[in-house]
Parts: sequence; structure tokens; C-alpha cells
Amino acid sequence: MKRKNIIVMPKLSPSMKDAVLVAWNKEINEEVRKGDVLFEVETDKVVCEIEATADGVLEQKFFDEGDHIRVGETVAELID
Amino acid sequence: MAKIKVRYNQDSIDQIAELMQQYQLNTVCREANCPNIGECYRRRTATFMILGNQCSRNCRFCNVTNGIPQLVDENEPERLADAAKQMGLKHVVITSVTRDDLEDGGAGHFAETIRAVRKRVEGVTVEVLIPDFKGDRDALGKVIAAEPEIINHNLETVKSLYDRVRPEADYERSLSLLRYVKDKAPEILTKTGIMVGLGETEEEVYGLMDDAVRAGCDILTVGQYLQPSPEHYELKEYISDEQFRIYEEKGYEKGFRYVASGALVRSSYHAEEALKL
Repeated sequence: MKRKNIIVMPKLSPSMKDAVLVAWNKEINEEVRKGDVLFEVETDKVVCEIEATADGVLEQKFFDEGDHIRVGETVAELID
Repeated sequence: MAKIKVRYNQDSIDQIAELMQQYQLNTVCREANCPNIGECYRRRTATFMILGNQCSRNCRFCNVTNGIPQLVDENEPERLADAAKQMGLKHVVITSVTRDDLEDGGAGHFAETIRAVRKRVEGVTVEVLIPDFKGDRDALGKVIAAEPEIINHNLETVKSLYDRVRPEADYERSLSLLRYVKDKAPEILTKTGIMVGLGETEEEVYGLMDDAVRAGCDILTVGQYLQPSPEHYELKEYISDEQFRIYEEKGYEKGFRYVASGALVRSSYHAEEALKL
């Protein structure tokens, strides 16, 4: 059975509330391995490469480049 | 200005965060929103922050929360030693919030922590990154007496920027702390660190290097200031990799025994490498 893996916006620091998506590093239907850089977000301090926390095929992107994403929001869905 | 890119690994962050929660400890990595947290936690290293997570000072560059300081936790040294042992750390780096509210600025707690770690972890080396204890020599003496391998006290920036960047500190007081440690315990390596990109000139950085070397300082770290939020001190520029290389060369030329200079260099970044002197 196929399993959905949800990738959420991590809390990169105790005071962080949101971050801006600056790049997607994977395309829809592309295979993603745990540890691959899935997307990049800009915080006040740095640009952070966010690694996938699970394996799967990238099924859905919930945000576009330039969007503000709040901590804990679902950013992508992978199908394993 | 294009921001610096770093890698974030959720699993490593979660593992260390869980461990810290288990032992009720803080890390400066987390509290100061360090850009290297992904890399260091993946290597299973962290810099412990003792004496709570509320700082009694409010430096303009720092992301650690300024607030009402917590009660000193007498069991913290033992728990930290346990955590260091569980993590398999060979070099333990300990810093603190500034505790101007405590009579000895927390120096006794530092000393107890150093001793606890040494007792628990065989063959360990200990590095402390200490506040200025408001220039109190008796307080500083407690830390020296506990004989850490490295005592670090950051000058943070050049003298001309003190009023704007760390108004509650004093450049000469910080320098004299480094000098005092070297005078009292020449075998302890002394270390200082600065941020660049705050609007300092190259000449001012060289002046600071001269001052620190004259104070007997052995180790220097130079890293890029990254503005934690729009409310913090404004980032003036990103320093080029070439300039960081020049600072490193100059540092050795001036007489430091070890220099780490680079955009992402922080006080405790790969700290154990300086011990290979």
C-alpha cells in the first residue's frame, strides 16, 4: 500500500515563526531520498537547505517560491 | 545582499534536542540560532549553555533572550556531565548567559561544571566561553582554579563599535580578563572571537588583533555577523572569503597560535581543532 509522507516547515530557531520559500530543489514526480535537499527557505539570518525527512516521490507542492510558510505547515507530500 | 546558505537536518536536530530535553539542558546552538546547528548536531557535537536561557544583558547582536534570570540549578553540572558522557564528547564546550544578578556572575557554577565533566568523562578536554564577570577577579579565579584547557572570552567587535553593539561591556575590561588568565595560568590556552561585517574597518580588526596578542591570547576566531532579526544591530556587509583568508594570515603573522577565520566560523565551531597545537 502506498504511504503518504508529509514534509512540514521545521522550526529552525526558538523564535522563528515563518520563513520565505526561495527555491524548490525537486520537481513533481521526482524521486526523493531522505536527506536530499527538497527546498530552500530564507530566514532573517540565512538561507537554509531543508532536507527531506522521508523517502518517496514528490506528489504535491503546497507553496510557491516567494511564499511565506509558517512553522509546522505542510510544505510537500511524498508518496512512498 | 545574498544570504549565506546552510544545511538543516531535522533528524539530527531532533536527536540532540531530545537529549537536551532529557537532561534539562540548553545549548547556545539553539538559543542563539546558530547557522551551523545542522552540521554540528549531525556530528553530534553541541555547545552547552549553563545558568539558564535568560540573559541579564541585552547585546544588540545576540539572539539569546534578555529576561529575568532563572534560579541557579545546582544539579546542572552533574546532568551536563552525564549528557557529555552519553554523547561521547571528547572536547566539551560550555558557555553561559551573562548573570550580572549573581554575586560571582556564575563563576562558581562554571567551576563546578568543569569539575563534574572532568570527573565523569575520562580523558576529556574542557573549553569555557565566559562572560566578563564585570571584571571581578575573584570570580574569574574560580574558573581558572578549575583548570579548563581553554578559556575563551569574546571581544566580539572592535573597540569603536562597543557602544552600539555591546553597550554593557567594556573593551579594556574584556582585554584585561584575557591578560589576567594568561598571567595567572600560562598553561591554559586563551581564546577570543570577533564578528565582522558590523561596519568595522580592516585596520580596526588588525588593531584588535594586536591588542589581543599583547594580552597573551593564543587563539582567534573570526566569523561573519548574521543579523538575527530586523530589531537587532544592522548587518553592514558580507565579508568576502578572500578577506577572511587575509584575516587568518594576518592573525598568524601577528602571533596567534591558532586562527579560524571564515564566514561560518563561530567561537566553538570545530573547537577541538585548536587543541592540536
